[in-house]
Amino acid sequence: MTPVDGAGASNPNLPVDRAVTVGREPSSSPEQIPQLAEVDCPPELQERIEALMARYPERKSASIPALWAVQERYGWCTPEGIRQAAAVMRVTPAYLESVASFYDLLHTSRVGAHRIEVCTNISCWMRGGDELLDAFRAAAEGEDVFVTGFECLGACDIAPMASIDQRYFGPLVPGEAQTAIDQLLSEDAVLPEKSLERRPLAGDTEVPR
Amino acid sequence: MSHEKREVTVTIDGREVTAIEGEMLHDAARKGDVEIPVFCYEPKLGAPVGACRMCLVEIEGIPKLQTSCSTPVRDGMVVHTRTDQVKKAQNAVVEFLLVNHPLDCPVCDKGGECPLQDITQGWGPGKSRVIDEKRHFEKPIELSPLVAIDRERCILCYRCVRFSQEVSEDAQLQLLERGDRTYVGTFDDRPYVSPFHGNITDLCPVGALTNYTYRFRARPWDIEQAGSVCTLCPSQCNVSFTVRDEKVKRVLARENPGVDDGWICDRGRYGFEMFAAAERVTEPRTKGGTKVSYEDAIARAAAGLAARDGKVAAIVGDASNEEGFLVQGIVRGALHSPHLDSRPAAGPGIDAILDLARPELQATVTDIDDADVILVLGTDPLQSSPILDLRIRKAIRRSGARLAVATERPTALDGGAEAIARYAPGQASYFIGALTAAVASGAENVATPLAESLRDAGKIVIVWGERLGASATNELLGLARALDVDGPKTGLSDGFSAHQQVGLLEVPEVANARGLREAGVLPDAGPGLAALAVNGYGTEAIREALIDRSLDGLILVGVDPLRDFADTSRWEEAINAASFVVCFSTFATATAAKADVLFPLETHAEKDGTVTHPDGRLQRVRPAAGRPGDIRPGWQTLANLSLALGHDTGVTSQPTAFAALTAAVPFYASITESNIGGRGIRWQETESGASVPDAGIASADARSRRVSGESTPASGTSTAAPGAATDSPDTQRDSASAEAVAAPGAPELTLGTYRDLWAGPITELNPPLKFLKPSQRLELSPEDAERLELAPGDPVRVSQGDKSIDATVTVHERIPAGVCFLAEGIAGANANALLNGHQVNVQIEKRSEVPA
Amino acid sequence: MPHALETRVLLEHAEDPRLATLQGYKELVDGYSTLEKAYRSMEQDEVLKALEDSGLRGRGGAGFAMGKKASFLPRGDMEKYLCCNADESEPGAFKDRELMQRNPHQLIEGIAIAALAAGIGRAFIFIRGEYDRQADILDAAVLEAYEAGYLGEDILGTHRNLELVVHRGAGAYICGEETALLDALEGKRGNPRLKPPFPAVQGLYGGPTLINNVETLSNVPRIVAKGADWFRQYGTEQSPGTKVVSISGGVRRPGNYEISLGLPTRDLIYELAGGPLPGRSVKAIYPGGSSSPVLTAAEAMDLPYSFEAMAEAGSMLGSGSVIVADDTVSIPHMALRTARFYHHESCGKCTPCREGTNWTVKMLERVVRGEATPMDLDIISSVQENIMGHCLCVLGDSMAMPVSAMVRKFRGEFEQVMAAGEAEHGIDPHLVVDLSPEALGAAS
Repeated sequence: MTPVDGAGASNPNLPVDRAVTVGREPSSSPEQIPQLAEVDCPPELQERIEALMARYPERKSASIPALWAVQERYGWCTPEGIRQAAAVMRVTPAYLESVASFYDLLHTSRVGAHRIEVCTNISCWMRGGDELLDAFRAAAEGEDVFVTGFECLGACDIAPMASIDQRYFGPLVPGEAQTAIDQLLSEDAVLPEKSLERRPLAGDTEVPR
Repeated sequence: MSHEKREVTVTIDGREVTAIEGEMLHDAARKGDVEIPVFCYEPKLGAPVGACRMCLVEIEGIPKLQTSCSTPVRDGMVVHTRTDQVKKAQNAVVEFLLVNHPLDCPVCDKGGECPLQDITQGWGPGKSRVIDEKRHFEKPIELSPLVAIDRERCILCYRCVRFSQEVSEDAQLQLLERGDRTYVGTFDDRPYVSPFHGNITDLCPVGALTNYTYRFRARPWDIEQAGSVCTLCPSQCNVSFTVRDEKVKRVLARENPGVDDGWICDRGRYGFEMFAAAERVTEPRTKGGTKVSYEDAIARAAAGLAARDGKVAAIVGDASNEEGFLVQGIVRGALHSPHLDSRPAAGPGIDAILDLARPELQATVTDIDDADVILVLGTDPLQSSPILDLRIRKAIRRSGARLAVATERPTALDGGAEAIARYAPGQASYFIGALTAAVASGAENVATPLAESLRDAGKIVIVWGERLGASATNELLGLARALDVDGPKTGLSDGFSAHQQVGLLEVPEVANARGLREAGVLPDAGPGLAALAVNGYGTEAIREALIDRSLDGLILVGVDPLRDFADTSRWEEAINAASFVVCFSTFATATAAKADVLFPLETHAEKDGTVTHPDGRLQRVRPAAGRPGDIRPGWQTLANLSLALGHDTGVTSQPTAFAALTAAVPFYASITESNIGGRGIRWQETESGASVPDAGIASADARSRRVSGESTPASGTSTAAPGAATDSPDTQRDSASAEAVAAPGAPELTLGTYRDLWAGPITELNPPLKFLKPSQRLELSPEDAERLELAPGDPVRVSQGDKSIDATVTVHERIPAGVCFLAEGIAGANANALLNGHQVNVQIEKRSEVPA
Repeated sequence: MPHALETRVLLEHAEDPRLATLQGYKELVDGYSTLEKAYRSMEQDEVLKALEDSGLRGRGGAGFAMGKKASFLPRGDMEKYLCCNADESEPGAFKDRELMQRNPHQLIEGIAIAALAAGIGRAFIFIRGEYDRQADILDAAVLEAYEAGYLGEDILGTHRNLELVVHRGAGAYICGEETALLDALEGKRGNPRLKPPFPAVQGLYGGPTLINNVETLSNVPRIVAKGADWFRQYGTEQSPGTKVVSISGGVRRPGNYEISLGLPTRDLIYELAGGPLPGRSVKAIYPGGSSSPVLTAAEAMDLPYSFEAMAEAGSMLGSGSVIVADDTVSIPHMALRTARFYHHESCGKCTPCREGTNWTVKMLERVVRGEATPMDLDIISSVQENIMGHCLCVLGDSMAMPVSAMVRKFRGEFEQVMAAGEAEHGIDPHLVVDLSPEALGAAS
């Protein structure tokens, strides 16, 4: 019987890596904790992050607020912004990127000038959240507006609802998506009648018939 | 520190197991031969994370299953690891891990040595119910030029990222995204580059992290593993060579808690490709590169050396104890010359060496783990003994040790230090003198803040660099004496706790420095550090004697003075002046090219021999791979050369060479190959360990007087006793200069140099690490950079007298004004060219163009 | 006007916008008088005893006795912390949002008094990043409280100190898990920690830490002001007090209603929330947020709304959030929505949760696409069992409990959906297996 054994074979389809033969070169430079002088951090961002760090017994606690500050400044957590915050906080940019990428509201890639989160979780879904999301997506087509479906935003009382630039609106009907985006782009007040703040306490509302 | 650990008894699967209170259940079970499978658990990575859930067990009295990796044992605990409930959990976890893990085992390098395969086989459900699509990633991705990542194989055990946070503390490797979208990565997809990052490939329990140097090169069943010791630096980490067809394909860490904690640096891991470099010397040669037979080469060498009887000197660097011992036999026995050394620069005299060799003053590597204070003095462990850097970090992080750093140049450990002192290059002995005074008498001086951090420490470990130099080493002994208040008193204790104890651990310049000294490769001591009738010249005196022709022949073993020694042009003059040079070299270096007879040296993958760790641990380097070309063992060549010179050593094999060594070194007498074993043995802990010679002066009082700095002719120190020194105008002046305050507008800066981890053959002759080859950088303080109108990246010429080298400016916030730094050993721009054995000031001028 | 079945305590005057200001809070509900009394004239143990005696159970989900939790903190000079868990993210829950938005000072006063009870000098409100408006309101209120001397150093000249910082999260449900909250507050990824050690022993920055929900802490001022007996007049023996209940989904008047615990579930849904939408009927409810095992309408309606009654019925009161599924809702689709949520929110740290939620979603997607067989329902149930009790924190179980309840109680509906799909696709995926490398996951 002939033994079947490829041990010791050297397969031309799997050549010795070039790391062994000529050496690999890194694609870009590694990044450790950047020095402040290297990152050109805007002074107001630096001051803000330093003030945030001062609120906590340990400076690392300021990482989420600092990333919020970066996002506010640049529209998203840009690599440059993360490096600036890292230099101020004396942590590695990798650490801050790791933190930022964990959280849904911090964006590590470019998003639009405006952000709309449409709830598609259970209560909103039951009341048309999916259709509302579709409507927002269609209305935002071609505009500098970032629309995403989102998990429960904690406003099932106004389902289906959306958070538009961090403010809650609902209950919305699909037709209001276009209105909201038009108002947003023309810097008008967005759907003032549907703002959560206008909503009375549940027990004070009339029973709809 | 020595609170007794209580023993407890736990019952695991019906077996009574004796464990230490507080020990994790997983570890206790192992003592009872009960294996509990784990993926994420690895005590070396810090506190358990309990993430993989593989180690769930049933503990009586607790309704829910518990992770055995994170549950400390309690007396009387009853544990079950094979009940239906536990099996169900184990099956579930394995099944869950395979939901997303691709079954590409046939083409996975981990196949056959994969914990996931093993645990699936041993604890899995035995069948698959998953038909859904698995997650996909682009693959493989270059995580670094050395490590590939196949993300879809990753089971998110956290090991690699914990290594980056908790061990190397570089925090570059992180988890990104969340949930089952989580992946391991770096900031902005930058490469992960840290001197230790290769360890993540050892840690990975699946084939997600693989070495480019090993991908598709072998299967686990056609390789052999061979344990040995890495001698690329004094850390002497224990390694295991993966050998296929007699060639090294991979280097793995081989855990030895007394040496390395199971980590190795990337030099040790990826340096092996240079063993096969074209520049390797693979057969004896004569000048001009003509290959000759060993017999011919030995005859020529013997003839040339014998003709210069009494006028030959030897310098030894990279060599085993046996090789060092044989060289000293040749020089002293066959050539009747006392001139030999194993140090690149003038070192302390034998009295100081004997004091440093006293077992009670010796700190071991494990002493770092439970030190209260660690003082890093005159060395940057990361550059010179990388694995100590990790050890010190671990002591700070895991045991709350406090760190004080006193160096010329900023070190990698500064971030974790409680006190940092910077002294100017050349000012180490004055600084240590000041520190001793501050410690002993509470003197207020530049070293007072550092002295404060040594206050009230029970256990102090001083990690010090050989490059401190002779007089600073003598001062160091005075400091140790002042700190060690249990020992003979030399000053007022002034608030220091009465039980303070201090140990010293040297970071020498060459890997086997201690072994070579103890084997007798010193100008003023023979084997066993024995006193000599006639003392010879040390390294620098040998150089001068060659130039003035009072010496004529030179034997160089594993050294490259034209690269590694200070004042390279003077060395060139000296070697040119020697009329006969015998060189033993691994590579065809500039020095080797000047040899009349050149012999090859083995690498640590090929060599058989012993080496001695800086803490006195004898370890065995074992031959793992075949010797390329016609290379013969170093002991054999040296024994034959000795024989040809009429000096019969009786050495006919490595064991006989080792026997000759242990016979000649009294404190090695009870060391055998078997008690060295796989983990080495510290000679201080053997029966013969007490046979280390006394410093030669009978009374302890006299010794204490000597070590505290009072005149010691042999060591050539000229400073006064530290207690008195602080008040002397001299010391005050020097203390001020220790702060390196340069006069405004001074055109010159004091030059400091350092050994760069990556300079030398390791990056020049070794393709995998080529990307790390350093270029010369002039490190400046921001103040000096501004004053000299230099910006980072500017090309400059750095000159000292008529010698100059080119460099690129970098500005470093932690460098004091008035000093600048260059790296030694950089091909084409070697800082050693500017040094002359004294404090050196350099001039800096901006070059207009960057040379192509 | 509140409905007669409501008992407004925490929501007293909540309809009045002035309540959100310090002045309004003082005028309308005699705000901060309890803080003054406690700080000026009460000892730590006295405050703690009032809380313990009240039997107040945590309103965040687990329902653990709040006073007892506070008593677990060690005494001594070490730095101790209080974290208010305002990361309300459980689908169906929105009561903390209402409490913070309408009455932020009630929470701040509660935090200050609870801190006194546990000897704590530093407090944080961890509020989910989505609640940006509510965080702004809290920030303003905290500033007012500092200015009025109710926070900061030497509060009211009593030599007692309390620093309070409003810390915004950034969108991760898992941060509502108390140890994940601590990691997030320390600036890390919000991964749950191993327990033990419990936060009361080793929590934020390694110090003893008390973590309480917004509603729990909002209850504190009145309990300390009016006493345990007053508090116990509401609710049941084992569930004393009132509860703000969020009702949403298929009802006419979704919203927050404050009730005395023990009110019949039927009243909650039909009387307060107005019952199902016209022409529809209630099919099932999640009685305590999306992680509670669903109850069929028949099971639920006659139960008193209390911690113990819900537990007895095999479900839980959780955070007190009722989601009503009417007869138009497809239960398999609802199971998928639920599973998707937990899959999305799983932090990924532990294997059963990370992979179990992922696998469950994939299987449920096959179910609703009609690409599954009854065997898959068994696998789904088995996978839920394999998750439960094996995870690092409760998130995995939070999916497993409702999903397995849905499969068990509505198996017929699952089979129907699958059958419809199968007819459409005409193939049985278990017979025709795609052998392409992509499908097998064996990437090249």
